[in-house]
Amino acid sequence: MSLDTSSPILVVDDYSTMVRILRNLLKQLGYENVDDASDGTEALKKISEKQYGLVISDWNMEPMTGYDLLREVRSRSETMRLPFIMVTAESKTENVIAAKKAGVNNYIVKPFNAQTLKGKIDAVFGA
Amino acid sequence: MPKSKNTKIASNDPVVKTILDLGERLKKSPGGQMTLTDVIGVAELLTSSLQPLLRRIDVTLQQELRGILMKIETLRSEISKVHADDISANRIPEVGKELSEVVLATEFATNSIMGAAEKVLAGEEKNDKEFRELVNEQMMEVFEACSFQDITGQRITKVVETIEVIEERINILCQMMDNHGKKVDPVLSDAERTKRKQLLSGPSSNGVDQNQIDAMF
Repeated sequence: MSLDTSSPILVVDDYSTMVRILRNLLKQLGYENVDDASDGTEALKKISEKQYGLVISDWNMEPMTGYDLLREVRSRSETMRLPFIMVTAESKTENVIAAKKAGVNNYIVKPFNAQTLKGKIDAVFGA
Repeated sequence: MPKSKNTKIASNDPVVKTILDLGERLKKSPGGQMTLTDVIGVAELLTSSLQPLLRRIDVTLQQELRGILMKIETLRSEISKVHADDISANRIPEVGKELSEVVLATEFATNSIMGAAEKVLAGEEKNDKEFRELVNEQMMEVFEACSFQDITGQRITKVVETIEVIEERINILCQMMDNHGKKVDPVLSDAERTKRKQLLSGPSSNGVDQNQIDAMF
């Protein structure tokens, strides 16, 4: 099983450059149905309005961080199984463990390349 | 011996009077000798006359010392709020590391982008299909290299935060110099502390790499 290329993906990052990079990388991988949000609050609103196949989120954002977004997503019955990949420059062991405990499906440390992104998406969907 | 105004006033004092009398007697005595009884008498008189003065000095000294002690305590308390050791031991070295990482990241990104551009320029002789593939591939390299901006941005933010903390603490020191004993505002407000706790500290130089993270999953 792999993520359908037509399946909508939500990219959450407060850096527009990073959103643009992720959009281009995903497009290169065949995923063109990509939405974006600049923080957890905006992402939650979009998630409640649309059914996404995958969320790719940064950690460091204000006012709602990616970690808080993950916990919120996991606490809601309708989104508790929504695939969630954390993409962050923060790579301290305790933070990776915290994200894993909160239910993140995979964790990518910046900087990364298209192969790493593809590998993690495939890993999440068991491809 | 000329008599000054002070001598006239002091001559009414029993101690001064006794000493002056003793001096007169010494002048008149043939060998300039004085008896042990005279010396002890003057010493006793001096000691007893100095008692009230010494008591006054004792009380004043105690008050002054207590005042100095309280000022030292206040200063110590205020200096502890400045956390100078935290600045020198943690923040300044961390700033150095962050800036070094920024230099490395920008250098790496520049080399990657230039490398991609050179490969595209060198591929002009390829046929259209091959050239298009080469350009696509190299453009992806450029996109990936541009991700440095996100990371360096976070690193610079950490440096700016450290400079702000140092600025705040210098202000506290200035206030201490100007207003001893006045209450000084805390370095960070509760709201600021809460806000900082919610966010991570940004990229870390001593974090784990992607392979180590993969092993955890």
